[in-house]
Amino acid sequence: MAAESPTSERKGEKRKAEVVVHLRATGDAPILKQAKFKIAGSDKFLKVIEFLRRQLHRDTLFVYVNSAFSPSPDELVIDLYNNFGFDGKLVVNYACSMAWG
Amino acid sequence: MSNLEVWDGTISQKDFYVAARTLVERWKQVNPSLPQWTWIPSKSTLMGSSCKEEGYLSLENMFHIDRNEECLIVDSFSEREETDDVATLVHSTSNETHIYDFHIVYSFSYKVPVLYFHGYQSDGQPLSMDEIENDLPPSSSKILRESKWTYMTLGEHPYVRRPWYTLHPCATSDWMKLLLGGTSMKDLDISSYLLSWLSVVGQAIGLRIPLELQQRSVKHPSASCFIINN
Repeated sequence: MAAESPTSERKGEKRKAEVVVHLRATGDAPILKQAKFKIAGSDKFLKVIEFLRRQLHRDTLFVYVNSAFSPSPDELVIDLYNNFGFDGKLVVNYACSMAWG
Repeated sequence: MSNLEVWDGTISQKDFYVAARTLVERWKQVNPSLPQWTWIPSKSTLMGSSCKEEGYLSLENMFHIDRNEECLIVDSFSEREETDDVATLVHSTSNETHIYDFHIVYSFSYKVPVLYFHGYQSDGQPLSMDEIENDLPPSSSKILRESKWTYMTLGEHPYVRRPWYTLHPCATSDWMKLLLGGTSMKDLDISSYLLSWLSVVGQAIGLRIPLELQQRSVKHPSASCFIINN
């Protein structure tokens, strides 16, 4: 989708056309058969959330990145990858709604 | 406390103080041009003993601007008789500024932070729950309506002693356990508790938390734009 762009001026950052996302089930959430996929860096995190919702047939999910926070749906996937990705991928964890404590 | 113990997602009041200091410092680094989080020490402690580390976090005077477009339809008649009536649309905009205060208070019963907040118009008139819900972006409304891990309610602010709106904390330890609980107890970085917590709570109330806040060491400090409502 997005064309290759020149390397960003900021140190260590590159613009990538696509980002590899690895979806990790946590808690009692079902494990996806297809847990790895590529998404355009220019896409919003919302797309990952919506993909999860469709695959799991659940509307309420708790989605978070390994560095211990839940990204806003407006965040660009490329920004998440550049700041919190490792080993060439962005790991996104998901859990199903918790019961009331 | 043994290293094998599984963390339950809760923190002590002292942990809350440490986490609060981290939030204050990081917010200042990442958002220097925005209103700042301030630690408000309590004059008399809730538990009856004196402790200078007891208090709450305050972020006040967050502006939310709602742009309303009012359409006035005015009939105007053409000078020539054979032409039809022409209806013209006249747009006028009225800007209503709402101001929000956010407090993060430690709950001794749930042992987690709790968000208290309220909004008011520029003349000081408090906003109703409906008016506040109207200010929320659609994604936040959806979370408050549908998610099982939080909902908005009125509660007595334990320090201010007046009813403020609050996000109920009963599921907080569950999702904090998910966010931070991947490590063993000894590796647990409690100082970042509120940074993680705020990433979740912020989405529920339309408080935009910049991505840079989540970096445990600041690489590119920048003055990010703060948007309450998209």
